[in-house]
Amino acid sequence: AKDSKIAHLGYQEEKGEDSFEEAPMYVAVLTYMNYGIVILFGYFRDFLRAVGLEKCHQAQEREEQRNFVPLYQDFENFYKRNLYTRVRDNWNRPICSFPGPFFDIMERVSDDYNWTFRLTGRTIENVINMGSYNYLGFAENNVDFLKTVAEETRQYGVGVCSTRQELGNLSIHEKLERLVAEFLGVESAMAFGMGFATNSMNIPALVGKGCLILSDELNHTSLILGARLSGATIRVFKHNNMQSLEKMLKESICSGQPRTHRAWKKILIMVEGIHSMEGSLVRLPEILALKKKYKAYLYLDEAHSIGAVGPTGRGVTEHFGVDPNEVDVLMGTFTKSFGAAGGYIAGKKELVDYLRSHSHSAVYATAMSPPVVEQIIRAIKCIMGVDGTTEGQRRVRQLAENTRYLRSRLKKMGFIIYGNQDSPVVPLLLYLPGKVGAFSRAMLKRKIGIVVVGFPATPITEARARFCVSAAHTREMLDKSLDELGDDIKVKFSRHRSSYRPELYDETDFELDS
Amino acid sequence: MINLHEWCTYYALDSAKMNVGVAHSEVNPNTRVMNSRGIWLAYLLLTTALHVVLLSIPFLSVPVVWTLTNIIHNLAMYLFLHTVKGTPFETPDQGKARLLTHWEQMDYGVQFTASRKFLTISPIVLYILASFYTKYDTTHFLVNTGSLLSVLLPKLPQFHGVRLFGINKY
Repeated sequence: AKDSKIAHLGYQEEKGEDSFEEAPMYVAVLTYMNYGIVILFGYFRDFLRAVGLEKCHQAQEREEQRNFVPLYQDFENFYKRNLYTRVRDNWNRPICSFPGPFFDIMERVSDDYNWTFRLTGRTIENVINMGSYNYLGFAENNVDFLKTVAEETRQYGVGVCSTRQELGNLSIHEKLERLVAEFLGVESAMAFGMGFATNSMNIPALVGKGCLILSDELNHTSLILGARLSGATIRVFKHNNMQSLEKMLKESICSGQPRTHRAWKKILIMVEGIHSMEGSLVRLPEILALKKKYKAYLYLDEAHSIGAVGPTGRGVTEHFGVDPNEVDVLMGTFTKSFGAAGGYIAGKKELVDYLRSHSHSAVYATAMSPPVVEQIIRAIKCIMGVDGTTEGQRRVRQLAENTRYLRSRLKKMGFIIYGNQDSPVVPLLLYLPGKVGAFSRAMLKRKIGIVVVGFPATPITEARARFCVSAAHTREMLDKSLDELGDDIKVKFSRHRSSYRPELYDETDFELDS
Repeated sequence: MINLHEWCTYYALDSAKMNVGVAHSEVNPNTRVMNSRGIWLAYLLLTTALHVVLLSIPFLSVPVVWTLTNIIHNLAMYLFLHTVKGTPFETPDQGKARLLTHWEQMDYGVQFTASRKFLTISPIVLYILASFYTKYDTTHFLVNTGSLLSVLLPKLPQFHGVRLFGINKY
């Protein structure tokens, strides 16, 4: 029985299932001990600051207002004061070159343990960039590629100073939208100036009161904000868990709207193609089957997956071999793979025409700036091969190769990696908060720039470092970053068994609104 | 006649908050800490370590050590679970949890979850062991029982959000 279980897990890995391997128990216990020690020291330092033995760098109340009701609760700042400030030098590092595969970081030091920083004037040059969402390498400063952008800027200007519905609809916008629709293989598309705003401004236009939104547990803030602004009822299902989603669908349809028990006007399932903190791919075929069975709509947010997965970079629909017309609302951003800014929504012509008149973004937000639009156009043309070169295809293939290579090497070296084997977002689990700071600093010393995340942005035991693979990374760069990941920090916890998160149905999985 | 679980499923999930800068839609991560992997084991190990440290002090007899373990454990539990209020980080729930102790925040106030049962039973087990090792002596009994009551009463569902005599209210 044990052999068949291992064989089953191996088969699931082959099929491309997401893996969320659990660390050994001693790692979890050490993590809590780590937090405990930091908390104790935090209390001790707070006591010293209160008594006056230690200088307090934070804002303090004025003498005259000592007996007033306090404006802020200083306990709410405890984590920031005593944990985050200790490792604060790993975030918000100023850079002084464009964030391509290499970049230059301005060196900064702190004389008072990260309360204030000062720039030394030196630059750390040619740091390998493993933190930017530069999946296809379009964050580049290449004169030939940017020629069309310069020409269009000369023709259209830099900004439009108006909304799409008033004077801001340029012919270049319509060109972009036709191109995006052709790229995705759907009828029509509409582009917006900001990726976050695409979600938060359009979901209220699509659903309203009396509708139901089923949102994945780990959805991005923009989706949560859009869902909240719409006024619909929101239910959260466990991450990528189809049993949880189906159970929720069944129960919601059977019982109807809260209090009145009327039928729902619309049911919208909101998922992301690739989740940026987990690196997991959505289970698109299963969601489509559920959607058809229960007659719900699907909103697919391909912020990280468009251009980055699929044999020709068309996203998760191509990766799973699914017709993009089956997904009701395809949403994506141009920020990650296309090296620009903005977002799009694509789907049937009726849907997009409705959004053109009813979306908050179309009515109130400024239209996209022409050089940005042209950058997206030339990036899409490059990926599609329309510009006459095979550069786009080369980049997509290079990204897939780099992803597979980095993931398999990291796994073999013994690190715990989350997510799907095809996802270019690679979270490497560090677990202990002390290791989070140490890892990031050690990598910077070895000239590799990465992003680390800890509690409360992630669950308390799952602090991680995140590698974002790019098509612009060469094999040598990846080898260099892998070679630098030695044994000093001791994060090689993998026991080489992928365990998938179990389904949790206990009663602790919801929030009381009282 | 529906149970608490169903009521909550149908009425309580109608809000989603804006979670800036975090990778999940959990409004208050504090509620999930006691359910995380390995925390029960860490808590048991910590109590055992306390006991072993007390046992190694040469002039304390075994009954005194057990009573001290019981008292210090209950004092720490009272302090961390029933005195400290709010969260050490800002949460997007607009201050709903600011006046709640950690015990009241656990699992968003749902009673009789697994972690709550575990944390109720462990001081009782410690009390039984302490009573045995102190050979049911009267003074030790009074001290241990008082300490146990101080840590059991706040855990009752009837005491959820109750602040006696206005102590620890704000």
